[in-house]
Amino acid sequence: MMVPVRCFTCGNVVAEQWEEFKHRTREADEPEDPAKVLDELGVERHCCRRMLVSHKDLVDIVAPYQ
Amino acid sequence: MEDYEVQFVDRSEREARFVVQPITPAFANGIRRAMIADVPTFSIDTVRFIENSSVMFDEQIGLRLGLVPLTTPPGEFQMGEEVTLSLDVEGPETAYSGDLESSDGMVGAADDKIPIIDLKEDQRLELEADAVLDVGKEHAKHQGGVAVSYRHLQQVEVVGDAGEFDDDDPQILRGVIEEQAAEDAVETGGYEPEDGQLVPTEAFDNDLTNRYPGKELEVTDVDGAFVFDVETDGSFSVDELVVEAVGTIEDRAAELKESVQL
Repeated sequence: MMVPVRCFTCGNVVAEQWEEFKHRTREADEPEDPAKVLDELGVERHCCRRMLVSHKDLVDIVAPYQ
Repeated sequence: MEDYEVQFVDRSEREARFVVQPITPAFANGIRRAMIADVPTFSIDTVRFIENSSVMFDEQIGLRLGLVPLTTPPGEFQMGEEVTLSLDVEGPETAYSGDLESSDGMVGAADDKIPIIDLKEDQRLELEADAVLDVGKEHAKHQGGVAVSYRHLQQVEVVGDAGEFDDDDPQILRGVIEEQAAEDAVETGGYEPEDGQLVPTEAFDNDLTNRYPGKELEVTDVDGAFVFDVETDGSFSVDELVVEAVGTIEDRAAELKESVQL
């Protein structure tokens, strides 16, 4: 639903980078390469990278059915 | 008391890599474990909800709050001491960790942009939370160190020239090497060859053939020298984490010495 605060595997805080990652790779007019964005954001390990790459915000989808 | 030599390879506020020598593997692992399990940090433990009309349950928000790293000045607080934080956000807006207001200026969210919950129109989140000082042994949310690891320092010896018709396969090596064969090395990644220099393998793209072209090589571990990779979650700096961790080992050693004395 909301992005996990920390990486499940190593415990690094990944939520901090989520909004910029989401904006640059999915919402921007010219989406950038996710691998490059993650490198620039300093998300190095593949355990942390999968946290952001595989996440989908669901709050907007769930909200009307409350 | 023994003296140890510490050399930094990389150093920043939250991330560092350094070589310690001479230590035994057991002591290196002791330091690693102390960094993970024995250095206390603040973390939200109890949450009192005043209003929560968001799409998430109280428990889910409690979990997210617990994982937010809080700044913890070493030596200022006793184990089990509590600090109260409060959060009051009304939609449509996202509640961030930066919205947490602390009763103590020294303790607060280490990162301000962690989204707690996205609030829609007419939704509101108001709560009071108690952060408690405890160690990683008790709960992973109290771990100050993230992905703390160590490995042997390595040295590369040139044992001869590569055969004329040998395959030019890459020779992958990861970690940090101590330069021992400067006359056969070429400059890579800004590391001018010089004996005794510490070179991270990223400097030559983790491939030894880039640094020692056309040579036959032998890689060995340096006895008693360990490269530590330390990262913190932002609760404190790397320096503070390492010093505090070594301090806990020293305290326990002193306690043991005292209790076995006749």
